[in-house]
Amino acid sequence: MIQDIITPQAKHFADNAQTVLRGHENRSRRVVLLKGSLVQNARSESRGISARVTRNGRYGFSSVASYTEKDAETVLKAATENALFLDSRAAKARAGYPPLPAGAVPAFRPVIDTEQKRLVEACQAIDQYIADKYPGLLSRTVVYTEDSQDKIIVTSDAASGHVTYPRCYIYVMMTAGSKAGAPVELFKAFGGAGCFDDHFADLKALEPGIDKLYSQLMDKCEGVYAEAGEQTVILGGMMGGMLAHEAVGHTVEADLVLGGSVAGPNLRKRVASDLVTLVDFAGEAFGKPAPLPVYLDDEGTLAKDAVLIQDGILTGYMHSRESAAHFGMEPMGNARAWAFNDEPLIRMRNTCILPGTHPLDEMIASIDKGYYLIDSGNGQADLTGEFMFGVTLGYEIRNGKLGKALLDTTVSGIAFDMLKTVDMVSDNVTWSSSGFCGKKQPMPVGMGGPDMRCRITIGGR
Amino acid sequence: MNDILKVSDQLTALLRAQGVGIYETCVSESEKQELNTEKADFNLFRTIFNCGVSVTVIQDGKKGAASGNDLSEAGLEKVVADAMAAMASAIPDEANVIAEREEPEVFRTGCYEADMPRLYDSVKAMMDTIGSDYPRVNLMTVIADHTNSHKIYVNSNGTRFEHFDGAYSVGVEMSGSDGEKNTGLDYAGVVTHDLSTPLLSQGSLTQHLKDTEASLNSVPLPGKFEGTVILTPDCLGNFIYMLASNYIMGSVIMEGTSQWLNRLGEQVASDKVTLSLKAQDDRLATAQPFTGDGYRSEDVTVIDKGILNTFLLSLYAAKKTGRPVTKNTSFALVMEPGDTSFADMIASVEKGLIVGGFSGGQPGANGEFSGVAKNSFYVENGRIVGAVTETMINGNLENVFKNVIAVSREQVCDGSSVLPWLSCGGIVISGK
Repeated sequence: MIQDIITPQAKHFADNAQTVLRGHENRSRRVVLLKGSLVQNARSESRGISARVTRNGRYGFSSVASYTEKDAETVLKAATENALFLDSRAAKARAGYPPLPAGAVPAFRPVIDTEQKRLVEACQAIDQYIADKYPGLLSRTVVYTEDSQDKIIVTSDAASGHVTYPRCYIYVMMTAGSKAGAPVELFKAFGGAGCFDDHFADLKALEPGIDKLYSQLMDKCEGVYAEAGEQTVILGGMMGGMLAHEAVGHTVEADLVLGGSVAGPNLRKRVASDLVTLVDFAGEAFGKPAPLPVYLDDEGTLAKDAVLIQDGILTGYMHSRESAAHFGMEPMGNARAWAFNDEPLIRMRNTCILPGTHPLDEMIASIDKGYYLIDSGNGQADLTGEFMFGVTLGYEIRNGKLGKALLDTTVSGIAFDMLKTVDMVSDNVTWSSSGFCGKKQPMPVGMGGPDMRCRITIGGR
Repeated sequence: MNDILKVSDQLTALLRAQGVGIYETCVSESEKQELNTEKADFNLFRTIFNCGVSVTVIQDGKKGAASGNDLSEAGLEKVVADAMAAMASAIPDEANVIAEREEPEVFRTGCYEADMPRLYDSVKAMMDTIGSDYPRVNLMTVIADHTNSHKIYVNSNGTRFEHFDGAYSVGVEMSGSDGEKNTGLDYAGVVTHDLSTPLLSQGSLTQHLKDTEASLNSVPLPGKFEGTVILTPDCLGNFIYMLASNYIMGSVIMEGTSQWLNRLGEQVASDKVTLSLKAQDDRLATAQPFTGDGYRSEDVTVIDKGILNTFLLSLYAAKKTGRPVTKNTSFALVMEPGDTSFADMIASVEKGLIVGGFSGGQPGANGEFSGVAKNSFYVENGRIVGAVTETMINGNLENVFKNVIAVSREQVCDGSSVLPWLSCGGIVISGK
């Protein structure tokens, strides 16, 4: 973990300015085995210091890729000069933002380095298991990926602290041939927040998940195309999480609200059925650590849960300190930066639609003709809430029972229209946390949801 | 700033002291100055000093790599130790080799020195013009930067490339707004060395502004039909990337999942399609004079009049598959123009769409795609009827480039690619 040379530098903070000084290290480890060949075997670390200085509502930011007391002074000076440059050319001052309560957040989770040898051996063991048990695959890929952030944040007018965010995953990807000879793919991520031994001390624990993935792939090889058009579906928890993040979450980020998102005119209005409540969790969710817990953001805001939709009514946005002041709302700790040279942006943390009361079996039994859409490979959404998700795993529902698997398809719609059609919500939540959200910078995010019965448009010919 | 020539030499000495026979290193430093605006008001100015070091070592067919940004002696020792540790854990593989020796050379490209007051004034002028000429465009953010970099690549076969580069980049995020009516998000950007030409005259910035305002007038598109799609240059770039990922890039060739695996030298696309990667084209501002493998970049024609000429293979992928390496890792796309004007392309469409963006993710290995047409306009009987929303397009990626009706004679250069409009038939278009 990085040493705290940052805190003493507060003595260099300028008067009449709001300042954040951040020491920041990112680490990554990556091993890729493609059909048994080691195609990537790499380690990376980058570290630096940044300063953000706000004067008359304008931000100056500077960073250097080194980590000494002198570097801290350098970036404070450069950031101040940048803020002055903008201020000197502006016709009028921008609105500022008020100070926040002070506080100190201690480091809560160490970043433990694991020998590269163990990472390679883990991938080899999993690859060998797949190669031995499933020799008929066209291709198999095993990826170990780990990234961590270690930050010391010191502010002039808010909270400070030392926070760490390690996470690691093993991805298993399989490709098989359909009856027609076309390649069919599926993948699954194992792991989560924490370090290698938190998840992969016992690799045998992954085998049931790998076996299930293979079984689903074989189903998909016999798969059929979904019928295009508006259909009754059950969106699985992974799909629900994608919806929560892409189609709703982004539209309620305050910078995008200011940019004209559909959430602007819909505050305090009904945007979903009353079965839908959406929360961006900070440190804990449902009495346990959230998938990727956040306790302090990079503006010095102590993190709290942000309730975005309550019983179908749009109740709030996610904020930076500046946007919160603009809207007269409370900042909840959503301003985050990925690397030492990144400025904080409004980002989601662990965005989740809350569970309901229905068992999944009951929901499936309630549908005569429809689809159970389980997993998504990608998703995109627009300011208008128009979304598109790729569906990589799903099944027909016929007469209340699961039928044939589906070949890849897509679903689309307008989030606030589609969410009003939700009429059953399952009693469980499925989380995913392995991805990055992209918005100028990458950012690890958690997203989750229950199974939801709704109407949605399925693409196809 | 660091003396990265000295750092590079220190790194070489460290590797030799460790007895490493085969290695490659890259040391770099860069400075980025970036202006950000929010709703046409400058709100953030960033200055970022960065540096990097990467090391790849190979011994007995085992390869390890490490990278970092600490150029101190201790930092270099750590990155070498990390690379050695990774190598020790690796699986021997005959495909782990480095490039043959190339003649050392120093490359200087672009505009190394920044003129930030001038960039500020150019962006201000652009925003003022947008404010007056496109009043219904909501200028969400503009991010304008100058980045310069100095990089040294060295390998143990005696190659030593040094590259000084600099360029301006301007990206604009916008939406349309008119009373109760709002459009989706649109993005346009250019990379340039040229601040003497107004930014709105570069790339497709002005076209995006016009399209954003026009998108406020959407028309319903009921039902489903098979029609013609005209891909704008920006959207065409996305489709070419998807095509390359599915059929041409090293990963799918190594996996054996590319449907074009055994089709080199065959007609895979319309004879109207000639597609190249040109790392040092004068029109482009994204120079890449040498590849990540340490080869001097060469222009590569990937598809020549529809014939598949080459796959895009790194040195490792080339050795692994027994095929020649591609000495170009730039993805600086240039598609040759056709002989039809964009206006005539539209005029010839009986029923179809001009598609400015595709929200659909990467198609499966079979090339089938399905996604939402963004920033798109319905065309009927040769006339643009209006913008569409909630409209999906479905088809097969390979067929998009096979069923080409026309390639426009106009090309758009945004500084990182030079692309025309392309129209193709057989796409299923479905409205709500």
